[in-house]
Amino acid sequence: MIRLGGGSTIGRVVATEALPAGPHQFHFWTAIDTAIGIGAIVRVDAENGRTVYAVVVDGRAYSDLATPLHEVVAAEGDPAGDRAPTRRTEIRLWTAAVLRHEPDEPIQPVPLADVLLATEQDVEAALRMDGYVRGEQPTGIPIGVYRAGGLAAPVYLDADFLLGPESAHLNISGVSGLATKTSAVEFLLSSIFQRLPSHKGSVAALCFNVKGPDLCFLDQPTELTEADEELYSVMGLAPRPFEKVHYFAPYKADGVNLNTLRSNAALVGDVQPLVWGLREVLDYHEVLLNRDDIDAKADAFLDFLADRVVDKQFRDEWGNTHRVGSFADLQLLFKAIFDGLEAAGRGDSWRTHHIATIRKVRNRLLNISTRCRGLVTDDGTVSDLPFGRFEDRSVYVLDVAGMDQLGQDLVFTRVVTRLREHLERGDLGVDHVVVFVDELNKYAPADGPDTYVRKMLLDISERGRYLGLVLFAAQQFRSQVHRRVVGNAGTLVFGRMDMDELAMPGYQVLSPATKIKLATLPPGALVVPRPPFSQPLFVRVPRPAVLQGPAGVKRFPPAADVPFEEAVVRQLTAMDKRIAPARIRDCIAGRREDDVRRALLATARTRPDDVEGYFKASLGPAVRREAAGRDQDATTPLRSVEDPYAT
Amino acid sequence: MADALRSAGGTVGAGALLTHVAPPVASPFGTASHVEGECILAIDVGGPAPPPEAVAFLDGIQRYAVEGRFGLVPVVRGYAAAAVLEREGTELGVARALQEEFLVVARSRLTPDQEAALEDVDLPIVECDAAERSHPILDVQLAAKAVQRRREVVEAELAAAHIEEAPGSWLVVDGSLGGIGALEDGARVVGLVKSHETQFLEGADLEVALTLPEGHRTSVFARTAGARGRVFSFYLRLWPWQEHDLLHGLVRIERPPGEAAVAEASEVSRWLLAERAPLSAPDGRWDRLIYPIRQVETFLRAQAGGWW
Ligand SMILES: Nc1ncnc2c1ncn2[C@@H]1O[C@H](COP(=O)(O)OP(=O)(O)OP(=O)(O)O)[C@@H](O)[C@H]1O
Ligand SMILES: [Mg+2]
Repeated sequence: MIRLGGGSTIGRVVATEALPAGPHQFHFWTAIDTAIGIGAIVRVDAENGRTVYAVVVDGRAYSDLATPLHEVVAAEGDPAGDRAPTRRTEIRLWTAAVLRHEPDEPIQPVPLADVLLATEQDVEAALRMDGYVRGEQPTGIPIGVYRAGGLAAPVYLDADFLLGPESAHLNISGVSGLATKTSAVEFLLSSIFQRLPSHKGSVAALCFNVKGPDLCFLDQPTELTEADEELYSVMGLAPRPFEKVHYFAPYKADGVNLNTLRSNAALVGDVQPLVWGLREVLDYHEVLLNRDDIDAKADAFLDFLADRVVDKQFRDEWGNTHRVGSFADLQLLFKAIFDGLEAAGRGDSWRTHHIATIRKVRNRLLNISTRCRGLVTDDGTVSDLPFGRFEDRSVYVLDVAGMDQLGQDLVFTRVVTRLREHLERGDLGVDHVVVFVDELNKYAPADGPDTYVRKMLLDISERGRYLGLVLFAAQQFRSQVHRRVVGNAGTLVFGRMDMDELAMPGYQVLSPATKIKLATLPPGALVVPRPPFSQPLFVRVPRPAVLQGPAGVKRFPPAADVPFEEAVVRQLTAMDKRIAPARIRDCIAGRREDDVRRALLATARTRPDDVEGYFKASLGPAVRREAAGRDQDATTPLRSVEDPYAT
Repeated sequence: MADALRSAGGTVGAGALLTHVAPPVASPFGTASHVEGECILAIDVGGPAPPPEAVAFLDGIQRYAVEGRFGLVPVVRGYAAAAVLEREGTELGVARALQEEFLVVARSRLTPDQEAALEDVDLPIVECDAAERSHPILDVQLAAKAVQRRREVVEAELAAAHIEEAPGSWLVVDGSLGGIGALEDGARVVGLVKSHETQFLEGADLEVALTLPEGHRTSVFARTAGARGRVFSFYLRLWPWQEHDLLHGLVRIERPPGEAAVAEASEVSRWLLAERAPLSAPDGRWDRLIYPIRQVETFLRAQAGGWW
């Protein structure tokens, strides 16, 4: 290959009546052995000072052979015969799509002049990056490296378009494994953290880990190849893992082992439990109802519970006083209602709510406490994200990969709604939050019922940019995601694509050669279509400088689930290495699991200096076991998800 | 009709439709003497064989335009160019090229003022013959001949340069060697003549030559006609002529006179047979025009561009 570097003449524009040069497309020829290819950026300088920047979208080679028959005649019909002593004259003829004219007006056909390989400055100009990479308040965020003919130039996105307010959101599509979607988002988050200029304010990322160990090791370094390191250096970025990462995971159904693959003893200590109570669930009860049927009556009853019952003194008609603070309390209330109605003998409604509605709501609510047993506690303890205290350049990873879809929906809805509320009030702690939702097609599918989660994602995509609430989403097939959610993404990125997907009408603007290139992109190569020309730009993206999920579980094998007592010991010793396991065992021996769990949770949430003392104090003195009545009606826990990698 | 021809030993042609009488042939006959044997024989050369490693191809072009006249005397502006393309491996590349532009006029028919006016034009002036009587067409033809002579001079210069600078290399020249000047015995120069206006052989010899089967050559003979010296020559049939006409696929090879010409005749024939590929079609002369020569011509035409 010829290494030319930018700025050298590599071709000449040709135009014939049949193949003219237009204002948006032109043709040029090069030497047979040329450094350019599909996706290369070129520049044409006219004598009158006009400059045109363009990207190569197609290439053809042909010889002066007028018809294949002439080859047959010359070879006397024998393809294996002697080679002709002379090679026919060949041409490499390229088609380029114009990216930019300078001056912008008037738009004229491309001049029939020399074609130059773009320099770094040309790449900046061609992609209109000069407007935001230079100047007093630059807002360029490196997204990858453009490479052609020996030139390696950084490509920037405009933070104003990526994080708002001009536009916002990023959507990345491509086939599994080869498109490197998740990796690319990790890289880009790191790039944002390193380069978001101070005048744009602070930024944090909230990542939902929805697939196995994908995002479980963002704080761990990894070995990079020299090629990757070079890419980092071209972009002026430091290849290092995230410095501030906070992990949250619900418990498994046993209520003590964390439901995450970051469960290796060396790491599990900094995973905080995500535990919600009745109040947290009831506020987002829409999630529970919209899945099967939207029912105004059930809605009304839920409102009644939320407004009049939960966390309040409530007297029923049968002389009982309730203070409902947990699912267990709620269970008792329902029992009282059903018993009371039955005793009265004509039990078809209670306080205007039909008994069928009451049953339905009861089933839904108790169902969630069962299906999300590790997330939702019966007893009213809560451990939540630090809303209001989000820190600049921090990543908050919510590991929901092991959760049931209903639980994931609940987590999404509640977390995003809280983010939104805080951002609206300006008291989240940071100015921007990037919410990363992988496998978006599961949460905002193109078809299927209009779920609350999808509505919420649509809402972020439409209004988030004014708030600093930014959605980064990835999915294999863009066509399987709700149109408007994708449509509102200001930045679209493609990794290797599926040919069937490329055959969809949305991709018609791409040339056949570009489509083929898209369908055969190697890992780490991405395409960033550039509005307003919608011509693709091919960039190289390095591996993120963090330990990737599969390698992470090799280096930090997840711990097997351990019995209750052992799990408590491990979690406490992970918080404080000085604790003697035997003392903990003694202290929890014979105690109710719920009480131990509550004390453990309180300790994990507080992170006191004196872990052991705090835990013991929270546990309180041993009291005689109460009658087990409370637990009588509890449904058996669901088994935890067997295959954590299953999607 | 075909049956009638065949039944009495004739050959069937292509039967192409013609409308005009062909223009008269300027010099239809020349003379020849036998060199290889006592009569002309058809010799099977044994099929194609790879060409020599070092080989180059030479051709020239000319153009002219009548710019005006002094009285009846035409003033012609001429252009002549030639190029040598050298083959390296299978690639053709320009090894040397020359082009020139000039005026052609019959000085003897101009007044001193007219001559001076032309001399002020920044182009060399080439003298051409003046006919005894003025004739609007013949006068221009005489000028055109002068242009052609310039082309031959340019070609000869390039050929000489090539022979001197690339001594081991073969040079295939489009057309007769007549214009190239004297060449030594053994000089690796081959003239490839596609037109057969002048016939040097006669009688049975001519019949053998013009009815050669594909892949055959004639015995070498010396053509003696013209002021252009003695050249050794033989015919070679590149493509079968049956179903076409006598001259289809027939070329006449010229070599500097000498023993080498005879000794190398079959070898040269074999590699010229290999030059049938790639085909120079869609050029109408594809049966006699080898691809590298066409490429020289293409280069020269592109270089001349819209010379006018
Ligand atoms: N920049 C890169 N260059 C080369 N290989 C990479 C790069 N980034 C990631 N990879 C490799 O590609 C593989 C897939 O990456 P990743 O998990 O990011 O893909 P994905 O598109 O998210 O896949 P899926 O749809 O299955 O989630 C990983 O093995 C990773 O190591
Ligand atoms: Mg992924």
